[in-house]
Amino acid sequence: MSFGSPYTTLPDFEYHRPTSLDEVLGLLKQYGDEAKLMGGGVGLIAFMKERLMSPAHVIDVKEVKELKLLDNTPGKGLSIGAAVTLSELLESGVLRKDYTVLHEALARVADPMIRRRATLVGNLCEAIPWVDSPPALIVLDATVGIEGPEGKRRVPVGDFIRGPVDIDLGPSEMVTGVEISQPKSAQSAFEKFTGGSEFSLASVAVMLSNGGRNRKAKVVYGSVNSTPIRSAEVEEAIKDGVTPGSIRKAAELASEKVECVDDVLATSAYRKHLLRVITTKVLRRMMSQ
Amino acid sequence: MREISVKVNGMVRKRMIKDNELLLDFLRERVEVRSVKAACWRGECGLCTVMLDGHLVKSCLVLAVEADGREVKTVEGITSDGELAPIQKAFVSHGAAQCGFCTPAWVLATYELLKANPHPSDADLVEATSGLVCRCGTYNQIREAVAEVSLATKGRHQPRESLARA
Repeated sequence: MSFGSPYTTLPDFEYHRPTSLDEVLGLLKQYGDEAKLMGGGVGLIAFMKERLMSPAHVIDVKEVKELKLLDNTPGKGLSIGAAVTLSELLESGVLRKDYTVLHEALARVADPMIRRRATLVGNLCEAIPWVDSPPALIVLDATVGIEGPEGKRRVPVGDFIRGPVDIDLGPSEMVTGVEISQPKSAQSAFEKFTGGSEFSLASVAVMLSNGGRNRKAKVVYGSVNSTPIRSAEVEEAIKDGVTPGSIRKAAELASEKVECVDDVLATSAYRKHLLRVITTKVLRRMMSQ
Repeated sequence: MREISVKVNGMVRKRMIKDNELLLDFLRERVEVRSVKAACWRGECGLCTVMLDGHLVKSCLVLAVEADGREVKTVEGITSDGELAPIQKAFVSHGAAQCGFCTPAWVLATYELLKANPHPSDADLVEATSGLVCRCGTYNQIREAVAEVSLATKGRHQPRESLARA
């Protein structure tokens, strides 16, 4: 047996496969921070191999029927259960028209095999600074549904992610899903640069609402800092229209004003260059649509 | 330890496993299906790819216990009569294997792609196999092999005029 070498084995744990939400909440109440929830396992299994996490109990939520729900109510919005995979979400077609930014972000996550396993909620709960779903969810004003011993609560995605691998979730609480209100007369898009890495070095999510006189732009950058960053300056530059001139200005401001960090993936100077590139790319695409 | 029962290439296999075992280890060590390769252990190279209940998955990112009561297919399971599948013959004729380490995963993935989409475009092929790596770099030969099978089922006669140039 080849078991035993580092990074190829998992720490010891007890595996649970509940089938109802009540069962999951019961297990969480019993085990608290000794337990970790597993959706697709893509993140958790990797974290466990690296011994960044060594939970005594792994609670697999894939068979929990309440969490498998994917509900699209036209005029109202989307409700995405915690066990819904990225493939299920993409193949359902619900994102394509009104939630383009999320469709574009998820369609390029890893590869089809990983997307078949990974869940949106899992991606979000990892809160790794370089993942792609948070910027898209933030421009869509998505909220996270949380349930625990104290009852239910709802938190905007931007507040839910507090820092790198740090989320607003108690030890006996769980995320049950994500809700997004249907945007009204809006155009949205996502762009990223990975440089061949599994993670993004810089990403941008843009939402333009052009309902009558009330024009609004929302622009959020991902992967350049410890949490997604909204840029009021870039938003201001494009809110009255996406033109060659406003694109130039927005790209300039993105590079100048958005704070970038140096980390293992890239330097802050390189990220600032990338911000100019992806801002230009995403806005040119939106202008021609 | 607990007993799980997994149908592997049509045969029910019952084995005792630990909860923290990977499907990859179960297949290689407990059932001894060694075409499933262990390389990166982190879901990047795709050489441990198998079919789990009809979908391709990377078995280094799946717990063995998750496969309990389910069905796994590896490259050995794509044909049952001892004949090579058309894509396997095309891999041979195009030299799409160099060192051969990644070949089982690529054969399985391209076989499943052609089954779902008999005439894949270049973009379809790239997308479907974007989770697989070949470090010998036989990507062009693999592309030609897929093109040959695709064109053969279209009834054309010039397999070399392939989607390789599309």
